[in-house]
Amino acid sequence: MSIEAVIAANRFGLGARPGEVARIAGDPKAWLKAQLAPERELPAPLAALPSTVDDMSAFFKWLRTIADKARANGMDPYDLKPSTGAMMGDGNKGLSIEGDYIRTFVPRYAAAVKARFDTAVATDRPFFERLVHFWLNHFVVSGAKPGAIAMPPAFERDVIRSNITGRFADMLLASTKHPAMLFYLDNFRSIGPNSKVGLDPSLRAPRKREDFAMPEKPGLNENLAREILELQTLGVRSGYTQADVTSFARILTGWTIARPPRVPGYKLLLEGRLNGKGLFEFDDEEHEPGPQTLMGRVYAQAGVDQGEAVLRDLAAHPATAHFIATKLARHFIADDPPPAVVEHLAKTFLATDGDLKAVCAALVDSDAAFAPAPRKFKTPEDYVISAARALPGYRPDPGTLLRAYQSMGQQPYNPPGPNGWPDIEAEWLGADAVWKRFEWANQTADALASATMNPGALAEDILGPQLGKSTAQAIARAQSPAQGLTLLLASPEFQRR
Amino acid sequence: MLSRRNALRILGASAAATALPRAAFAAAETDKRFVVILLRGAMDGLSAAPAIGDPDFESARNGLAIDGTLKLNATFALHPNLANMKSLYDAGELAVVHACATPYRDRSHFDGQNLLENGSEKPFGLDTGWLNRALGQIPGTGKPLGVALNSHMPLMMRGPASVTSWAPSLLPSPDADTVQRLAMLYGETDPGLAKTFAAAQGANGVAMGGAAAGGGYQAFVQLMTAAAKFLSTPDGERIAMVEIGGWDTHVNQAGPYSPLSTNLRTLDHGLAALKQGLGPLWKNTAAIAVSEFGRTVAMNGTQGTDHGTAGAVFLAGGAIKGGRVIADWPGLKPSDLYQARDLKPTTDFRAVATGILRDHMGLKGNQLAAVFPSTTPIKPMGGLIRA
Repeated sequence: MSIEAVIAANRFGLGARPGEVARIAGDPKAWLKAQLAPERELPAPLAALPSTVDDMSAFFKWLRTIADKARANGMDPYDLKPSTGAMMGDGNKGLSIEGDYIRTFVPRYAAAVKARFDTAVATDRPFFERLVHFWLNHFVVSGAKPGAIAMPPAFERDVIRSNITGRFADMLLASTKHPAMLFYLDNFRSIGPNSKVGLDPSLRAPRKREDFAMPEKPGLNENLAREILELQTLGVRSGYTQADVTSFARILTGWTIARPPRVPGYKLLLEGRLNGKGLFEFDDEEHEPGPQTLMGRVYAQAGVDQGEAVLRDLAAHPATAHFIATKLARHFIADDPPPAVVEHLAKTFLATDGDLKAVCAALVDSDAAFAPAPRKFKTPEDYVISAARALPGYRPDPGTLLRAYQSMGQQPYNPPGPNGWPDIEAEWLGADAVWKRFEWANQTADALASATMNPGALAEDILGPQLGKSTAQAIARAQSPAQGLTLLLASPEFQRR
Repeated sequence: MLSRRNALRILGASAAATALPRAAFAAAETDKRFVVILLRGAMDGLSAAPAIGDPDFESARNGLAIDGTLKLNATFALHPNLANMKSLYDAGELAVVHACATPYRDRSHFDGQNLLENGSEKPFGLDTGWLNRALGQIPGTGKPLGVALNSHMPLMMRGPASVTSWAPSLLPSPDADTVQRLAMLYGETDPGLAKTFAAAQGANGVAMGGAAAGGGYQAFVQLMTAAAKFLSTPDGERIAMVEIGGWDTHVNQAGPYSPLSTNLRTLDHGLAALKQGLGPLWKNTAAIAVSEFGRTVAMNGTQGTDHGTAGAVFLAGGAIKGGRVIADWPGLKPSDLYQARDLKPTTDFRAVATGILRDHMGLKGNQLAAVFPSTTPIKPMGGLIRA
């Protein structure tokens, strides 16, 4: 069995299923590259999730139900108090906003996380799926923001999955126009001070989107503009200034979420078949008019063309190429990736106009990609997924799965901020996190190991030549199959890739 | 002004140290406790501690007004959700340092937090944290003297000094035999995992069991209560780090139930829980609550504030000489602001931190320089700690 096959399955994939290493041993690199193709259809677990329109409106529908419940209780819906924490629902005659939120959204969130898990466990294209996870951690819409709780699956479907092997610029444009991103980073509320609406706030009233709690007084919000520059394209400290951020915020005014009566294809909306593209609206009356200067370049285009031109320039910028190359190499190869690999990926990015298929192929072909010593420590999510791939009997219900992720400190779809989950070992290899992994491994092994199970053979099957002597011995000497399986799942070989 | 008091205290401590076999009862030579609360996301200092008496406050903060602020003195007040902290202030156990900032002057959360945590003058300037380096200066037995109440290890606590971490568990515990076998396997094959695993075993011995995280501020209260337990263990940790996120209030921040108001209430109850949990040890305790930077003085276009520069830092604990707002107040006229938008920084956060590390934890000049390496000298702020 070749070590390249084990590396392909672990470092670039989501961990081997039994028999998988042997199956791909013929040409592991070709196996990886064959996965760099668009997917023909959505994986079944994801296709069964609610529609984009449903994801986008779920929170606001819930707000309305809360208002109705408050009125039914004889309370003013605009004067509800959060529970003080001592007891849910105190102060509101037994109506708990938090409790209702949890009851409404935790099952929905858990179903989305389970669909993501089921997709990752069942996929024959684990490298593709890793790239989906990677890009969703680059273009971040986090459900940790209450109003965005249901939005990440729609964003993943509309923006990420369809552009994995396309051009970076297309993914950037799709992201910036997606209602989930426009909501998550507040841009839908940002209004040009000299736009028609900016100059005459009274125009706001009939246009006010009650659902989204639009501000009374229109003005700029620079959140999305800054995070695009800092986190999604050029990277921080790459030369842009506060003035560039403000200019870019002005350029992005009017990029907003379509209001139902104005949605093109209203019938599709009602049927729930509209995706994020159909929910983007450029509102000229909120857009700051006139040319803007960004990083020394004047953008004189009118309307939405101005922002599109900026995004295309940002996507083609050498700093962006370097930033994306660094993040990809860090994700797959090492926390501190070899500069030569980064440079090669950045060059490929620039030479191919940001062709992500070419960049990922270059990554697979790089020397460092198949260096035998593992230099990455699995994130909690990848740890759980890889264990589930190794153990076909592990089929947790959504609540159990969610508790496992929570206890290890990573709730999929809900990273703490727009910079996504950290991608270095030092963030995950803390005492508490390592202990929780071990507790989880122990619990999972206890539940799954039967008297006839042979953890030693399983270790051999999924880790092949990477299985070290000490670990093989520890598993062989275990006092029960369950203990052997615990040791396999907790072993350094299984936690590192 | 290295005072007679300090000299006497150091002398006193070493006299006690020679007289007693300290390793037998304590992991560290200090009886002081230090807690850092990191407020991730840039807390709006002018909402947490509004300068209500500044003649320009009202106009500068148009649209961000908060009703029912708790008056501290002629110029400053606390947010109405900081009632416990107001009581601490009245008891002389809480101070506000205002118009305070790290040396960071750009407006990226992630760079700003990185610099605040690494303690150097640049983002990513060091890959260890200043709190870890401070721990390294405290003589001890080699047992962890620091604990992060966190499921990941924050940069501020990362480094060569041994630290542990803990967060509430939702899973059943494995048996001792499996623990031992795995510890042996790590010992043979993977030093990184071996060290971390040993620290985790230690932490589990100390921490609380049972109580699951509740709603509202209960999860944070639970962490602060756990921090108090670690710090109260006779041979246990002396420095704890806890964090709360969610301070990035770009939208609708002023209302009584806005995320900002909710977060302030959480911080307030957390500090109360720390005091309660520490009991008599509270008098030996200093805590700092600090954020990576402040926010714009004026409201943005969406009834929130954008990323700014200086903000407010809270100091709490029985060891703090409180009941004061410490500020070289820069004013709020448009011409007073940093880059015409932010509260101007007039106090270096590192002066505050080194003041506490010196006068509370007993670190000396060269030790402080190792904790906060700087090209220009940092003058520790005196008088933050009670005589």
